[in-house]
Amino acid sequence: MSSAVLSTALTAAGISAEVSDEAFGVLARVAACDIAGALMALRDGDGAFALLVDLFATDTGDELEVTYHLRSFARDEDAYVRLVVQYDAEVPSVWRVYPAALYPEREAAELFGLTFPGHPNPKRLLTTDEVELPLLRKSTPIRTNEEVHDR
Amino acid sequence: MTDPQLPQACILPEGESPTPVLPRGLRRVPRGVDELATEHLIVNMGPQHPSTHGVLHILLELDGEEIIAAEASLGYLHRGIEKLAEHRRYNAVGTLLDRADYVSGIHTELAFAQATEQLMGIEVPPKALWLRSMFSEIVRITSHLVAIGTYGLDIGAMAPFLYIMRDREALLKVLESVTGARMMFNYVRPGGVLADLTPEAEPLLRQFLKTFPGYLDEYHTLLTGNEIFQARVKGIGVIDRATAIAFGMSGPPLRASGLGWDVRKERPYAAYDQLRFDVPVGADGDCWDRYFVRMEEMRISAELIEQCLDGMPEGEVSAKVPKVLKPPAGEAYSAVESPRGEVGIHVVSDGTDTPYRMHLKGPSLMNLAVVDEVMPGHKIADSVAIIGSLDIVLGEIDR
Repeated sequence: MSSAVLSTALTAAGISAEVSDEAFGVLARVAACDIAGALMALRDGDGAFALLVDLFATDTGDELEVTYHLRSFARDEDAYVRLVVQYDAEVPSVWRVYPAALYPEREAAELFGLTFPGHPNPKRLLTTDEVELPLLRKSTPIRTNEEVHDR
Repeated sequence: MTDPQLPQACILPEGESPTPVLPRGLRRVPRGVDELATEHLIVNMGPQHPSTHGVLHILLELDGEEIIAAEASLGYLHRGIEKLAEHRRYNAVGTLLDRADYVSGIHTELAFAQATEQLMGIEVPPKALWLRSMFSEIVRITSHLVAIGTYGLDIGAMAPFLYIMRDREALLKVLESVTGARMMFNYVRPGGVLADLTPEAEPLLRQFLKTFPGYLDEYHTLLTGNEIFQARVKGIGVIDRATAIAFGMSGPPLRASGLGWDVRKERPYAAYDQLRFDVPVGADGDCWDRYFVRMEEMRISAELIEQCLDGMPEGEVSAKVPKVLKPPAGEAYSAVESPRGEVGIHVVSDGTDTPYRMHLKGPSLMNLAVVDEVMPGHKIADSVAIIGSLDIVLGEIDR
């Protein structure tokens, strides 16, 4: 049901997407350059996905995934949009579609080393300038208790 | 305040979609626009300010007493919970999540336990589900009491805080007797809960339920009926429904703005599909509505606790789960309604005994983002009223 809505809305906007039913919800995979258009189409189209619940990144070991969690009150459904990019890649900021993305984008930029061109306030959100980034990538180790005590 | 026609309230009118405008807090006003303009003053509010509820730091740009721009500066409490979770077994992540939202730790634990159960396909016994609902509501009352009490303190009403902390103690005694802890419970585990009610817990709860309506009336007399309090919160910090949705808000601040979305109703978890309750909805979305929605929610939570005590089924409090949890590879998202809004946990498993990635969707972060938008135009004293009405917990924002 929802996967049909998603693919219809994205196709109508001329965006190629791969829509699948995952265990956690309906997932549309789009290209990074299309993300703002895809979210705009989902927000204003039949899906009426008015709310951005969350935005987060994941390090798969080879590349980074950015996931957008959307919610439609009218249809009472959730949907996910995901894009895969190389490390240190640029992902267009979607704050013009969902102002809710302002903080999570800063967090993803800081902790995963992404860049969100178009973000109005691209500062670090959580860490100070002395902290070496990006912290949440798999290549960044955590210190063991012994190492912390030896500092 | 109560809206029995809940599903109606959840449907947005046509054409009501968020407007792509830069939050006012980020729209810097150039200095000396006209010749009479005075110099703007930048004030660092926090991170040690008592009214910022922790270590929130807000940069306020002031023109006299009026706020021109506001920007939250976060991270003073960043502990890297998401990174640490990747290096811990599933059983040990709950202790970290207690410390994310330290005023209502049980809800974050519950979200993680549910996500793990989804991944592993564990069926939770009915009694555990009812206990989860009951303790969620107990903790919701303790959390809302702190929110209301400290809100009065922020606004200048000292007395309600003292009464509220006295009354909260009764519930903390119950929590201590069952979970062994007053705030960092680690009570909800994947598969069920830690323990059944102790013999002294039920009489304590029944006694509390008998006295709580009277207590609530007392708070209404002390705070709601206080003219100074009303003058400080009515019409202040108005967040309309479109703004609330655009900024991804949830919980009491969203419901105060007129959208009756509650995870307990819309995506029932634990035993909420078997419980009867209303969801209070506000009309104006000002600080007064956010305060009042919380007051109503406490009354409803007390009714829910009573329903849980009366309807508690017999049986095991936990399913049989292996000592080392190894969910199959996959992803799961689970959301619960915490006192602050929708707490979501997104877990990615790669088949090992530690989560590959765990993301905590904290409602406080999304609710806080709106201060950049609503604060400009208010007086500096109103900033305290606005922050307090959003009821943020910095542990969950900074993670």
